[in-house]
Amino acid sequence: MAPDAQVASGGYTIAETEHPAMLNRLRDRLFGQDDRRSRFDRTVLPHLDAAYDLARWLTRNDQDAEDVLQTAMLRALQFFDGFHGVNARAWLLTIVRNSFYSWLEQRNRGHESADPFDEEIHSAASGGADPELELLRRADGRLLCQGFESLPLPLREVMVLRELEGLSYKEIAAIAAIPIGTVMSRLSRARRQLQDFLIAHGVKEGRP
Amino acid sequence: MSCPHSEQEVGAYLDGELDLTSSLAFERHLEECPDCARALAAQRALREAIGAADLRFRPSPALTRRLHRTLADEPAAGAWPSWRRLQAIAALLLVAVASWSLGRVWPPRTAPDFADEIVKSHVQSLQADHLADVASTDQHTVKPWFTGKLDYAPAVVDLASHGFPLIGGRLDYLGHHPVAALIYRADRHVINVFTWPDAYGVEGSGAGGLDPAAASRQGFHVIHWSQGGMTYWAVSDAGEDRLRRLARLLLRKQRTS
Repeated sequence: MAPDAQVASGGYTIAETEHPAMLNRLRDRLFGQDDRRSRFDRTVLPHLDAAYDLARWLTRNDQDAEDVLQTAMLRALQFFDGFHGVNARAWLLTIVRNSFYSWLEQRNRGHESADPFDEEIHSAASGGADPELELLRRADGRLLCQGFESLPLPLREVMVLRELEGLSYKEIAAIAAIPIGTVMSRLSRARRQLQDFLIAHGVKEGRP
Repeated sequence: MSCPHSEQEVGAYLDGELDLTSSLAFERHLEECPDCARALAAQRALREAIGAADLRFRPSPALTRRLHRTLADEPAAGAWPSWRRLQAIAALLLVAVASWSLGRVWPPRTAPDFADEIVKSHVQSLQADHLADVASTDQHTVKPWFTGKLDYAPAVVDLASHGFPLIGGRLDYLGHHPVAALIYRADRHVINVFTWPDAYGVEGSGAGGLDPAAASRQGFHVIHWSQGGMTYWAVSDAGEDRLRRLARLLLRKQRTS
């Protein structure tokens, strides 16, 4: 009897948690902005740093990053009613990314995204020697930064989301609106290109 | 790499994105494939360098302040205008009052959630060898059997002469309380009568009063009442009329005993 009683009460828990977004929306409609704003502050604003990081790496400069971030945050507030999920960070980063691409399209008429980018290119793996491993380990922040900035946008964004923001393949796939297999292949190419960049520049700068 | 494992797989392994089986298989492969081992070492070196460099950009305090101000100045999107809000609150109140009033007249004095529990207990009792802890048609055998198992003495009456032979008793649990279950038969139908003191405070206690209230769940009829400080819930797939008759008989016997 006791386990059944628990199952019965468990059913209520599920039923109650299924509609929080709906209830939140109703509460917002009734009691106005204060409650909505405080939920926005609690769930979305903690990810402001991640949002800025992505915007900064996509735009590659401070001023543009600020513009993109401001647009993205206002959009996030505007569309907050549409957020039903639990992953506020992935949700916000999706908005940042979309804001960036709109901004890019308006400003550059798609110059950067028009960079030739072929999903099918597989760079030949260089069977390198151990001194190259040493170069990779010793790469400093400045060189790594240049390396990241040298990556084409589609590779750069997955690399930032994975290596700097620590998101899973699944989250990245959702944010960038690409299949998980594409996340894998882009990450792989990004790492390959970064390695090549670091080795080439490390050698040029005369380090071991 | 000349091996079937791609550089992508190396990355997925490093990222912890391979499932356990693939991960173990890949580790075995690493031992015999220098290409993959080297690719892994290179990717690991790259990750360590990235980790050590701290490449994350952070917004300046000034930017963070500015953003907070901008967001705070945004007009209250999403909120309804005040007349609409009043309308909505009035509608909610109306619904609340209406459902409260309706709940007072229909369904008649039932505790619907608890009826489900009763039905569950009943169904469980019908499973093999679970019906009676003490199988006896003798009320003088069944009643003493409960002594020491419960902190109250359930009234046990035989109604065989009225078409409801007693077939035994069982200790059951409702709302985490041990309660007495008396088992009757009506033709081929089993009837469970659960009884416990109102004072137990279990959900469903004291409900119904002297006027038995019926409900049906999943094809079973449930009827409940209380009398002399005891709560009774009877359940069966026998017809509601029969349950009502049983309830009336039990009420009358209690009064006269």
